[in-house]
Amino acid sequence: MKDIEQYLRQNKPETPDEGQFIIETNARLSSVEGIKDTVDAERYRGRLMLVIALVAGLVIGCLLTLFVMFFPVPSAETELSAFSKAIVSLKKWETLLLVPVAACAVALGILLMNRKKEVL
Amino acid sequence: MTRERFISEVRACQGQLRRFLASLCGDTALADDIAQEALVRAYVASGRFIGNFKAWLFRIAYNCFIDNLRRVRQPAADLDAPEALHVAGGEESDASFKHEELQRALVRIPEKERTAIVLHYFEDLPVKEIATVMGIPSGTVKYYLSVGRDHLKQYIRL
Repeated sequence: MKDIEQYLRQNKPETPDEGQFIIETNARLSSVEGIKDTVDAERYRGRLMLVIALVAGLVIGCLLTLFVMFFPVPSAETELSAFSKAIVSLKKWETLLLVPVAACAVALGILLMNRKKEVL
Repeated sequence: MTRERFISEVRACQGQLRRFLASLCGDTALADDIAQEALVRAYVASGRFIGNFKAWLFRIAYNCFIDNLRRVRQPAADLDAPEALHVAGGEESDASFKHEELQRALVRIPEKERTAIVLHYFEDLPVKEIATVMGIPSGTVKYYLSVGRDHLKQYIRL
């Protein structure tokens, strides 16, 4: 095994000279400048939409929470439905339930970050 | 990434990129065409780039090589043809002969084994980085290296 490894390392081809390569590359890059601008603009628009959606979600969520807090439905007027009962019982265990959810979110975030680094 | 920065990064690794592609396809002109195509793709996507530029560029170049292979569907380059590969070897005569013999052997082994061998022994990339370039697990890279060495031994006189 050492022989073949030594052979491969000893007979490594030399790197070709730069020559006209960079000049030709520059010319090709000039021809796709417009495409790159479009791709960059689309990516920027996508990020902007994401931020807008996040802010809108937060604002609407806050407004709804405030509405519910300021205009509570009197408990005497309503009888708890099965769904509401489930929500109430979930409320008791919210901390325990939120920990695995948060852990999953963090793990997913790390996975996505690593995947992004991997390339295109 | 600005165009100036992109070009300066490319300038630093263009030689290795072209040698890598030339060793893969056995034809320097075709290798340069694939390298240009890879650079155009990389430049258009450079806004998304994070991390190791060389590994990223090599992965794009490898994908371009695979695309080209699927498009053309030709057997490996005919090294007996007059226009066959002439990547500059080290010393003249004997070294040049050995180099051509190695190139002839490389184009005979399967493409994945060839890629792993070229990246590891010519470009000195560690197994983990080769795995990133080829988009496969490190264990599979080690397997390709081992099998590739065995296959090369059949075609090379050591």
